[in-house]
Amino acid sequence: MVLAIGIGDFSIDPVSLTEGSKSARIDGRRLRSERTKQLIIEAYLSLLRERPVVPMPTAAQIAERAGYSVRSVFERFPDLSKLRLAAADYALAQAAALAPPRNVEGNRLTRIKSQVETRAGTCERGVALWRVLLFSVAEDEQLRSRVELSRKRTIERLEIMYRPELSTLPETERTYTLIALEAITDHESWARMREQHGLSFEAACGVWIDAIDRLLPPTPPPA
Amino acid sequence: MVSGQDRQHRGDDSMARAGRAAKIDGRHLRSLRTRQRIIEAYLELAAEMSPRIPTAAQIADRAGCSARSVFERFPDIHSLQVAAVDHAVTLIIPPPPRREGDDRQARIHAQVESRSRSCQIWLPLWRSLIANQGESAELRQRVTRLRQGIIDRLSTMYEPELSTVPEAERLRLLIILEALTDSESWARMQEFFGLSSDEARATWRQAIDRLLPPTPATP
Repeated sequence: MVLAIGIGDFSIDPVSLTEGSKSARIDGRRLRSERTKQLIIEAYLSLLRERPVVPMPTAAQIAERAGYSVRSVFERFPDLSKLRLAAADYALAQAAALAPPRNVEGNRLTRIKSQVETRAGTCERGVALWRVLLFSVAEDEQLRSRVELSRKRTIERLEIMYRPELSTLPETERTYTLIALEAITDHESWARMREQHGLSFEAACGVWIDAIDRLLPPTPPPA
Repeated sequence: MVSGQDRQHRGDDSMARAGRAAKIDGRHLRSLRTRQRIIEAYLELAAEMSPRIPTAAQIADRAGCSARSVFERFPDIHSLQVAAVDHAVTLIIPPPPRREGDDRQARIHAQVESRSRSCQIWLPLWRSLIANQGESAELRQRVTRLRQGIIDRLSTMYEPELSTVPEAERLRLLIILEALTDSESWARMQEFFGLSSDEARATWRQAIDRLLPPTPATP
């Protein structure tokens, strides 16, 4: 519907004004929809953290936590596996945003401590979702790709943080060292320290710091 | 005085009792065998379907019995899971390998060989157990016990080195050694990093050698 709007001496194109309003309304709706989506994802993740033994809360539980209707959940996610995938993407993005490399130019101990604290934070936040992803990865190719991306990023971070030490190793030894570092700083390794061995966050970080210091070759003198 | 007829009757009675006892023993034995077949069927299917767990119908089919037979012996799938894990534990944790004359490299080699073989064989079942322990205190307890068994073996194999450090450091090292040689760590080396079994074992040997403190000189 075209509204002819005339305001005093101004000549306003009624069509572009209408289109502009429509566009603003659509953008607004889209933004609200995206926010709802995010709230649903966050509700799912918070339910997982509370009850990590349940791989998939029900749509009703997720909707209630998010403060929306079940219909709202399924309007945005055709099924719960799509929600799980979206949660994986969200967690990956969050990890990247919250865990940039720090103190990359620091001395050996500074870099180890920095990397460990960052990694520990990621694991502390993400172990519940990680378990869900691993449980479902065999039957969901898209989830598998997220798991692989997450591992790839972990390896890249290790390469960045320990470049001086790793650069002193022949290729095969370097690969083996990276793989061992990834194994000991895995989500489950963290979870075991916290859940099975009852270590505090700081004590668990201490275990990793000590282990990484042993695994890495000596730091070469600065050039 | 006992008559011949009485003696015969008593003889007949004891034979009848012996016959009944034999029948009961036979039934009991058959029942135990069926129970064992059900457990083995569950373990086979859990490994094949990991991390999903089989249904009673699938288990019965594999075991060659009825679903009713399954539930006569196990009130629910959970109690079958627990029994199956108890059976598998004796197989998953073999006795510790010989200490190979206490030579550091020989011990590392032996322990890595033994552990990698275990991981290779039991990975699917292990994944199934981890994924399905859920809120079951019994299954979680079994998982904890299995992990502790692995830690105990590491402690035995590397006693010379671990004995040189304070208790707190010893525990930290054992925690890391267990994480390094976890079943999923083994799987990752092959599935994600594409290592052969030999390369994966070499990775573990290198890491363990670096993690362990120096071996004390033999007196």
